[in-house]
Amino acid sequence: MYSKDELFLAISTVIDPEVGFNLVEMGLIYDASCDDEGNAHVRMTLSTKACPMHQLIQQWVKEAVQKMANIKSVEIELVWEPEWNITMAQEHVKKALSRG
Amino acid sequence: MFSISQDFAPPFKLIAPFFILGSLFYLASVAYIYFISAQNISMLDTKILGFVHLFLLGFIMMTIFGAMAQLVPVVLEVGHFGVELFYAIWPLLSVGTLMMAFGFFGYPMLLPFGGVVVLISMMIFILEIFLTIKKVKKFNLVMKSILISNTFLFFGIIVGLVMALGYSGLIDIDINALLKSHVFLIVVGYITITIMGLSVVLLPMFGLSHGFSTKPLEKAIAAACLAIFLVVLSTFTKIALLEYLGYISAIIGLFMYYYFVQTIYKTRARKEIDIYAKSLIFSYFSLIASLVFGAAYMVFGFEPLLLSSGWMMFFGFFSFAVTGHVYKIIPFLVWFERFSPLVGKQKVPMLADMLPKKSSSAQFIFCAVGVVVVAVAILLQNDALIKAGASFLFVGVLAFVRSVFYMINYK
Repeated sequence: MYSKDELFLAISTVIDPEVGFNLVEMGLIYDASCDDEGNAHVRMTLSTKACPMHQLIQQWVKEAVQKMANIKSVEIELVWEPEWNITMAQEHVKKALSRG
Repeated sequence: MFSISQDFAPPFKLIAPFFILGSLFYLASVAYIYFISAQNISMLDTKILGFVHLFLLGFIMMTIFGAMAQLVPVVLEVGHFGVELFYAIWPLLSVGTLMMAFGFFGYPMLLPFGGVVVLISMMIFILEIFLTIKKVKKFNLVMKSILISNTFLFFGIIVGLVMALGYSGLIDIDINALLKSHVFLIVVGYITITIMGLSVVLLPMFGLSHGFSTKPLEKAIAAACLAIFLVVLSTFTKIALLEYLGYISAIIGLFMYYYFVQTIYKTRARKEIDIYAKSLIFSYFSLIASLVFGAAYMVFGFEPLLLSSGWMMFFGFFSFAVTGHVYKIIPFLVWFERFSPLVGKQKVPMLADMLPKKSSSAQFIFCAVGVVVVAVAILLQNDALIKAGASFLFVGVLAFVRSVFYMINYK
């Protein structure tokens, strides 16, 4: 029903309030898919296992996808492999973070 | 819809009193410096003991306990056993600290009562932490460090209470012999090992560091534990060599810890030098200064070197590590409570927006200058310079109190 890019676009409205970038440009969303019935699946990680906002962030991702038309269900799969590191972020994020 | 549990962010009204009282005790302890004369600075002077307890119990421990209410579930990855117990800790710790400070200041009969009240508050804290740790299924380095540090706290406050009974004249004991054990169990065993253990989670989390080894930290904690064991053993055996070996082990452990922090700093992706980073850089600079002064004291035996070492450790290393993290923890808790429900519905601030830029900068500059000036004043035994440093600190801590209230009231 929706392509990976369309789902990523929807999820890109979710911003990490600590670093100020959205989850897609941070490289935290690994994959996203949606079948013809409107069942979406998002595979994502967090920058650290100890993130105190991990429940909130998953909820925001879920809500961002649910806002898309005809979505029936959203399943969030939180994974720790591969472990996130800064090389997974987009170039402009890396540049912005590396500025002192 | 997910149900967001409060496990990882306890209600702010529970934690706020710890930060408010902590900042006010910080201010009170800095004001106390005006009553200290360079001529009678000694580890055994009762005014100094009152000052140190006001600072360590009222500011450092109070703030650490408040922070632990939020950090323990984050680092242990389990919910609190009974987070409501924290409602009992801050009133007891406040009353106990004041009673102990006045006890040292001139009313020694207050000491055992204040000591018991502090003991009760800390036992509640330790009990809650231990019962939370019991829920952990797989132990990692940070969990072990929290277990170790709270065990040392348990023994440290028992020794402290025995000393309080001795000071008030209720029992006859060798207070001087117990003092070193008490200091090592609390200062190295609890405060330092807690900071060490939390570093492995907090520094990489805020700096986005990856790919560093935790081996130096494991060795640093082992060296700190050995140091405490040797110093406590020397208290009972009266073998001076054990005590010196303990000091050397502590210095080596802290240098190793510094090396570990440097590896995290070098691997961080986030290079911004904000108030958090500035505070931690000054904190670790103070740690090194403290270790150098401490090592110099062991060589030259000049007591002001030892006092300056303690000053840099307490007001440099501990204070700035604590204030730096307060600038991260309070905005998160306030944001979580007030703004997280509004995400997606209206524009919400970033955590960095909730920091008071001017007062946090003023706090950093005035406190850093004050810490250095007082360290030099202690070395030179110069009374006027101590008062000058205290004035810088007082202005800096006033700015810190203002920052705390600004962040708490951010709307």
